[in-house]
Amino acid sequence: MSRSIILAFAAIISFAACTKTDQTLKFGVKKSETVVVNLQTEPPSLDWHKAVDTTSHEVTMNIMDGLAEFDYSDPNLKAIPALATKWESDKAAKKWTFELRQGVKWSDGVEFEAQHVVDAWERLLNPKTAAEYAYFLFGIKNAQAYNEGKIKNFAEVGIKADGKNKVVVDLHTPMSFFPSLLVHHSTHPMRIDVVAKHGDAWTKPGNLVSLGAYKLKDWAHDEAILLERNDDYYGEKAKVKFVLGRMITEQSSAVNAFDAREIDLIPELPSNDIAVLKNRDEYLSKPNLALFYYGFNTKQAPFDDVNFRKAVVQAVDKTEIVKILNKGDIAASSWIPEGMLGHDGNVGLKFDATAAKASLAKSKYADITKVPRITITYNTNENHKKVAENVQAQLKKNLGINIEILNEEWKVYLAKLKTKQGYSIFRMGWVADYPDPDNFLNLLTSYSANNHTNWKNTEFDKLIAQGVGEFDVQKRQEIYVKAQKLLLEEEAAVLPVYYQSRQNLVNPRVKGFAMNVLDHKVYRKMSIE
Amino acid sequence: MKDKILTGYKIVLGVMMLVSLVVSVIGVRGPLVSALWMADGLLILAGFIALVMSKSLLPYLIKRLGESVVTLLLIVTMVFVLLRMMPGGPFDSERALPPEVMANLAAKYKLDAPMHEQYFSYLKGVLQGDLGASFKYVGRPVTEIIGDTFPASLQLGVYALILSYLIGIPLGVMAASRHNTWWDSGAMLFAMSGVALPSFLVAALLILIFSFQMGVLPPALWEGPIYYILPVITLGVRPAAIIARLTRSSVLDVIRSDFVRTAYAKGLAQRVVLFKHVLRNSLIPVLTYSGPLIADIISGAFIIEVIFAVPGMGRHLIMSVTNRDYPLVLGVALLFSVLLVISNLVVDLLYAIIDPRIKLA
Repeated sequence: MSRSIILAFAAIISFAACTKTDQTLKFGVKKSETVVVNLQTEPPSLDWHKAVDTTSHEVTMNIMDGLAEFDYSDPNLKAIPALATKWESDKAAKKWTFELRQGVKWSDGVEFEAQHVVDAWERLLNPKTAAEYAYFLFGIKNAQAYNEGKIKNFAEVGIKADGKNKVVVDLHTPMSFFPSLLVHHSTHPMRIDVVAKHGDAWTKPGNLVSLGAYKLKDWAHDEAILLERNDDYYGEKAKVKFVLGRMITEQSSAVNAFDAREIDLIPELPSNDIAVLKNRDEYLSKPNLALFYYGFNTKQAPFDDVNFRKAVVQAVDKTEIVKILNKGDIAASSWIPEGMLGHDGNVGLKFDATAAKASLAKSKYADITKVPRITITYNTNENHKKVAENVQAQLKKNLGINIEILNEEWKVYLAKLKTKQGYSIFRMGWVADYPDPDNFLNLLTSYSANNHTNWKNTEFDKLIAQGVGEFDVQKRQEIYVKAQKLLLEEEAAVLPVYYQSRQNLVNPRVKGFAMNVLDHKVYRKMSIE
Repeated sequence: MKDKILTGYKIVLGVMMLVSLVVSVIGVRGPLVSALWMADGLLILAGFIALVMSKSLLPYLIKRLGESVVTLLLIVTMVFVLLRMMPGGPFDSERALPPEVMANLAAKYKLDAPMHEQYFSYLKGVLQGDLGASFKYVGRPVTEIIGDTFPASLQLGVYALILSYLIGIPLGVMAASRHNTWWDSGAMLFAMSGVALPSFLVAALLILIFSFQMGVLPPALWEGPIYYILPVITLGVRPAAIIARLTRSSVLDVIRSDFVRTAYAKGLAQRVVLFKHVLRNSLIPVLTYSGPLIADIISGAFIIEVIFAVPGMGRHLIMSVTNRDYPLVLGVALLFSVLLVISNLVVDLLYAIIDPRIKLA
């Protein structure tokens, strides 16, 4: 009986193995002309006005272009023309004119024109769209009022099409980095006639029209998505005909599929395996414009005392944390990450246990028995736990202070963070939306909804406002260094811990894949050996 | 005449089930396969209704269905209220949104309406077959998400269920018939291991052996028969082990009965005695377990789906709660509740059908 069971099992495996054709993948595409990437999850939306997550962004940025794109070879990721051929602004950086590329066709053959940009921005700002990224255009005159429903007539908003090939934008505030915003998927042009025709189903294969290097070919929800090269693309054509996006959520399973040669490219490696994976030839890692930091609740004792905050910052050796994580992160000092204008490695209080004790002695809490209960709170995550435990140990060792650590489920964590009470020390991260220092420093202005520290400083606010209107790179650098010295050295309102790195495993058969500081995956650059 | 109809029904159902199974296993997709399975389902339903009618179980069935509706209403209400009591909202993210954008979102998804209005509006939608649209998967109706993902979950569950019976029952019978031998000990060792080992460990072992040591089976994805083997075995091992233990103890009870001794005395072969007389009388405990077994397979499948990247509903059940995607949580919870209520009801009815001594009222 047992022999027959074994034979039957062997027969099933042999039969099943025979049914698998080596070169044919999902949707019947040939492996030789397809790069398979792991998207990790189902893209929640391919409507680029409504997409807010990294998976949707990865797909939309490859099927759609904006007026500008980033020059990934430039260390500062300069915005360069894409659907616009050039742009100019007045001296105040408030009036911008974009000249559009002519002869560009949407994937359904319709010619691209300025009205598609205006229509798209109207839809993004329309309250009925309820787009989360609507605030990206709040710098435009009357855009916020239109989004709030205070203005009903879109003609009053500072966006105009001047003929078929020119878009003119009036800002209410200076923005020297405005073209960088137009790289972001939420600001890409859109065909509202297609949206009106299909409703929410406009993003389905066959309905979706786009202008990018790839087109949406097929989509099996929760399983795979297929992009096909757009042979009518106006720019450098993609080298690989198909990109097949898989949706393997579990990181270890993705590594298994990679090892079984089912996938060519996987991001987000399992943190516990990185020490082993980093020794492989397929491993790529690059620091990103992403910051892991701790914020202090400056209205709550003991962090209401600036000297106590300084003592905590000086007592934490961030290089130790980076070593523990062992995934190529960089210990942070400046608030702005490396590779971005405004970064200065000399800014910020350095680790110095003696100086930390001196700062503590100057604070109200020189007698550590009087230090109120402190809790480091983080959202549940293995790496966040490792960091919190290390900081806990370092503060005990260098200052003699006992602190507690607490983890919360993500949404619970966010909900409490936004309350008045908040947390005494909280973990947070920030990933650049666009590579401009304003995107990082704006976070700590007194009017930012993302400032959970309760720290408000009018001088800091003024510096940030001054920075956004400045075109001169050197002057901007000086302004942002000054702002960071105020934030990190004089006030010590936050503790930047490390600049996060990203990891990928890439099959050697895939060439031309280069990581960049924004972790944008540009499919059109890839080729198959 | 009645016997002829019954025999005809069994043959038609058997052939259709076999065809559906073969077509699905070889990886054929499309409306034809769905139609085949739907026809099977309708045939089973028709047969079941006929059986219920013939056994005068209709009043009991109506009573139970009424109770089921109340149960489902309670579940929906509890999930609805608990979701709204949980801290954190569907649009909370690392990037705090300006209040006006949050207001637009609340208005679009009617989250600014009073709670009771939201609740009754949801119930009204459910009665009309509309489970709302997901907050996370923008614009996608929950029914569409369920329609896209449930077939894979069902496929995985049905294969695992079949596998667990195919392994568990013969193993239990074999262990009981060779009581206190190495066969018995070996079978029970398998059963104990199957129950004790967590599924993620079984999955890791199977992947290590079959995907990386032998290189014969893929470690993830759900692309065709070869991809089904590891997840189905992983999901089926635990219920197979439980069924083997149940069958063994039940067969051991029955095997000592007078009618079995009589059957042997009449000179019947052991195989005939075991499978024709003993097994039929030993299946009640196994049947009793079938209700919880379906629940076990449904809940156990979430982990298996994630490990093997099966495009089923498992990840939605977990992620929809994390995302506070209220309509999706409610939709998935409602679906699983309906499945469990129905499976328990069917099992209860089967008792009466299989064992005439059981009276349902």
